[in-house]
Amino acid sequence: MSDDGDRASAPELSISEIGMGPPRLEKIVGPAALADTAASVADLFGVEVRVFSASGMMLAGDPLDAPALIGAALAMARGAPVPPDQRGPANERFRLLPIEYDGRAVGTVLLGPYALPGDVAAGMRVVQAKSVDALCRHLSRVLDLVMWSGHKALLTSTMHLATMRESYRELQEKNEKLNQAYARLQELDRLKSNFIATVSHELRTPLTSIMGYSEMLAEGIAGPLTDEQADFIATIRTKSDQLLGLIVSLLDMSKLESGTFFVKPASVVVVDLLSDVVATLTPTAAKKGVRLSVEGPADPLPTVHADEDRLRQVFLNLTENAVKFTPPGGRVTLSAAEGIDPRDHEGLALLAPVHRAVEIRIADTGVGIPRAERDRVFAPFYQVDQSSTREQGGTGLGLAIVKRLIDAHHGSIRIEDNDPRGTVFVVTLPCAADVESMPPAGSDDLLNSDALPPIFQ
Amino acid sequence: MQLDFVAREVTIKLVYYGPALSGKTSNLQALHELAGNDTRGRLMTLETQNDRTLFFDLLPLTFRSKDGDVSLRIKLFTVPGQPMHAATRRLVLQGADGVALIADSRVSETQRNAESFLDLKQNLKDNGLELGKMPLVIQFNKRDLPNIRSDAELEKLAQRGREPVFKAVAVQGTGVIETFVGLLFLTYRTLDRTHDLSKRLGIQGEELVRTAATQLGVTTPIEELLGQKMGGNFDGGRPTP
Repeated sequence: MSDDGDRASAPELSISEIGMGPPRLEKIVGPAALADTAASVADLFGVEVRVFSASGMMLAGDPLDAPALIGAALAMARGAPVPPDQRGPANERFRLLPIEYDGRAVGTVLLGPYALPGDVAAGMRVVQAKSVDALCRHLSRVLDLVMWSGHKALLTSTMHLATMRESYRELQEKNEKLNQAYARLQELDRLKSNFIATVSHELRTPLTSIMGYSEMLAEGIAGPLTDEQADFIATIRTKSDQLLGLIVSLLDMSKLESGTFFVKPASVVVVDLLSDVVATLTPTAAKKGVRLSVEGPADPLPTVHADEDRLRQVFLNLTENAVKFTPPGGRVTLSAAEGIDPRDHEGLALLAPVHRAVEIRIADTGVGIPRAERDRVFAPFYQVDQSSTREQGGTGLGLAIVKRLIDAHHGSIRIEDNDPRGTVFVVTLPCAADVESMPPAGSDDLLNSDALPPIFQ
Repeated sequence: MQLDFVAREVTIKLVYYGPALSGKTSNLQALHELAGNDTRGRLMTLETQNDRTLFFDLLPLTFRSKDGDVSLRIKLFTVPGQPMHAATRRLVLQGADGVALIADSRVSETQRNAESFLDLKQNLKDNGLELGKMPLVIQFNKRDLPNIRSDAELEKLAQRGREPVFKAVAVQGTGVIETFVGLLFLTYRTLDRTHDLSKRLGIQGEELVRTAATQLGVTTPIEELLGQKMGGNFDGGRPTP
């Protein structure tokens, strides 16, 4: 905002001020054209015409040596109350006419000198009083037309110029971003090839040997084993399996981070997928004494646009976690319902019908996650229980991968409390139709976020 | 907003936003019709040959406080709704004090309404403004057409949302004043909070808005007018559950 009490010294019109303040007379009419009009009016009516602007400029007419008269004209141009009929230095008559625009004074017209019938004024043009009034009305109309057209043209040209500049700036910005993204992609492409080759070779090859040899030992190829030796070998094999799992997770993670991870989206029926996950994990849960179940709404849910294998990985991971952290006798419940994106609070009346989403809740009755930890659990290698003697194992990569997979599907994940105890992981995934038809702006936070690999941006 | 202490004038910029052909210009035309000669300025339209808004329409309205001491100057702008005029929309939004989103009630326009809203959000962001802090009302226009979203549906959604939602038939002048006064009320309240307008000008702010409504020919009490909204609130906060 501008608290300016001095309009005359207002700076150049900026775009946000377009149409806001009173326009300046000299800016919207050309002084040369105005002088011509004044001269032609003077010719027609035989009375001289001078035009002054609010900023104190004389825009048309010959110089006049009458300071008091000019002072009155300028005062009127600035909006001060000045009587219209004035007398000149030799007692000749003058008439002041305010020029107004949108209810504000922007200038003054000074008519004269002239004489009325009966005046003692040798050599001066004598006009009827009603002719002066008619001339004033006529001039008012003409000036109003000129101001209006001029102002409209000024606004149009200013907007035109500003719009062109803005479009150019926008294009430049986009070009710059594209160039940067392209350079980054090339670099990532190179790094990705190196990294994946290195990791798979350097880590997986020796591990495969370890696993192979321990298998041979277990099979007794190098001679019979004592019970204790067989136990040790079994431990080596279990731990090697875990290590291989971790390496595979790391590879997934690196692919997700570098943007070389591809989702192959198709329409997925969420409830079927959840039933599948529950069927897979029921033996594990049963062994631990945890009840595992799935609930869906009576009406079929809209399908989501996702890579089914990756989504299965997400829900397997979350459900496995839930079972892991739930003590025997507890229960883990998977449910799905239609929901809206929780971030769509603003403009809900407009967005809700087009931003449809499916909300999946994985609720357990386990140890729960403290409120302060909830944002951090999605960071790679983060564990709520950091103590070396923690009860539950795990690589600390599961939720980080889950989060990135959901991001890659333009979805969101959050954690809520389960009543009376436990945790609910709430995953929201946009529906198939929504993803296909919404413009990129529809999910600007996600699509423009730097946290996303470039391939999804 | 511009504040002129010498002339004792407040100039407020209100922008009518919305998808193409949703009736933004019709709203201004209706207001121009309804306002008295002392209040309204000339409606300036910068349009193309097909009557589509090119840069903007501008309707200046001037209201005077009861004692005539303070002038409330409202500059009502519309934006061009067509997608290609994105840069113009962003420019017109610069310095806006309040926004009315004029939505088309027809079911077929639902997607375009949402897109326009997101476009508004993005353009405000590009101008360094936050949608959450911008006084905003929503108008569902063209209630007289067939195949529109039902009152019950709008009512239900409006009550879950933050913004006051009004129904209108702009070409008949219905709901236009309600939307305008609602937006003016919300905008003045916000400006008063951020710039201490009433105190600095020594005026009763709400009284000034009330006077403005009277000068538009409103005879019903302003509370009743604001009560025409479906859902939302005038506190700028979240809806009460």
